[in-house]
Amino acid sequence: MNRLLLVGAVLGTLVGMPAAHAADGAALYKDRTCNACHGPAGNKPLMPDYPRIAGQNAKYIEKQMQDIKSGARANGNSAAMKGVMHLVSDDDIKAIADYLSKLKP
Amino acid sequence: MKRLSLLAAALLTATVAFAGPPAPHKDGIEGKDYKWNAQEGEKVEALQKKGRVKEGAEAYEVCGACHLPSGAGRPDGTFPQLAGQHSTVLIKQMADIRAGLRDNPTMYPFAISLTDPQELADAAAYIQSLCIPADHGKYEGKDAADQVAKGKELYEKQCLECHGKNGEGQKDKFYPVIAGQHYKYLLRQMTEIRDGKRRNANPDMVKVIKPYTNEQLVAISAYQSSLTMPGSMCKAKPAAAATPKKK
Repeated sequence: MNRLLLVGAVLGTLVGMPAAHAADGAALYKDRTCNACHGPAGNKPLMPDYPRIAGQNAKYIEKQMQDIKSGARANGNSAAMKGVMHLVSDDDIKAIADYLSKLKP
Repeated sequence: MKRLSLLAAALLTATVAFAGPPAPHKDGIEGKDYKWNAQEGEKVEALQKKGRVKEGAEAYEVCGACHLPSGAGRPDGTFPQLAGQHSTVLIKQMADIRAGLRDNPTMYPFAISLTDPQELADAAAYIQSLCIPADHGKYEGKDAADQVAKGKELYEKQCLECHGKNGEGQKDKFYPVIAGQHYKYLLRQMTEIRDGKRRNANPDMVKVIKPYTNEQLVAISAYQSSLTMPGSMCKAKPAAAATPKKK
């Protein structure tokens, strides 16, 4: 019985891990207020000149978030996004980019 | 050297010129003819309308993504607590951001999503109907007690006259409640008002706050955030359990 429980726990951890990571991206997307401008599923931006980001390449999203955060990118509407980027850590950026890249455009 | 600074200036101009969404610009504190809280435009109209709480709940939806459905904002100071704020203050600040008198590129597109003065009044009425969250961001250093004591002394000298003994502000004068606001938000706003960056600021306040050091503003913010916001507080923890009641 104990052994079964142990196997169950190990399996649960293994299966649970990637799922938890994916869930993190979704939770972060909301908590860091990305959804407010880009829409709940990343495909309905608030303004016509804000981008759809669902299904975008993870690497590209990551780079834009990093550049807007650092100020390297300061064109377009990035001033609107810069105001919240201090909420987003490097790890958050990776998780959010990964989550968004897997959404349906 | 001259050439370098010229280049730097050109670069800076380019950055400024291309940054930011197309918000209008209205002369504020930096302009000669600035009159604080001029009674004109949609603000006056919104103030005269009767705010409808139910319609306001709908209008507030777009606000809640950042300020949270509870109106609590964020303790890190990114977004202020709105619950408990005077409706007059809420309407003035929304109208100022919409008019390009208070710069807020993050909030601007949300602010303009409200359609008319009636919706401003509705949103403000809804926010005013929210209970005040029990928790908010405070000064968290080890010397908190000292900072609060130092801040109290400073506050009572010059801030109290307008913002009130308990930080309750004055609704009819558009002076905000500052008691129980997030520490980091208070510090950021006072710094921006002192440095002329908050362009819709009251010149009387700018004059008063000009000589204050960063350290003094830290202390004053620590004190203000240690105060309890006046109004109806949310029930501490059981409130979470009571949420399903909403529907």
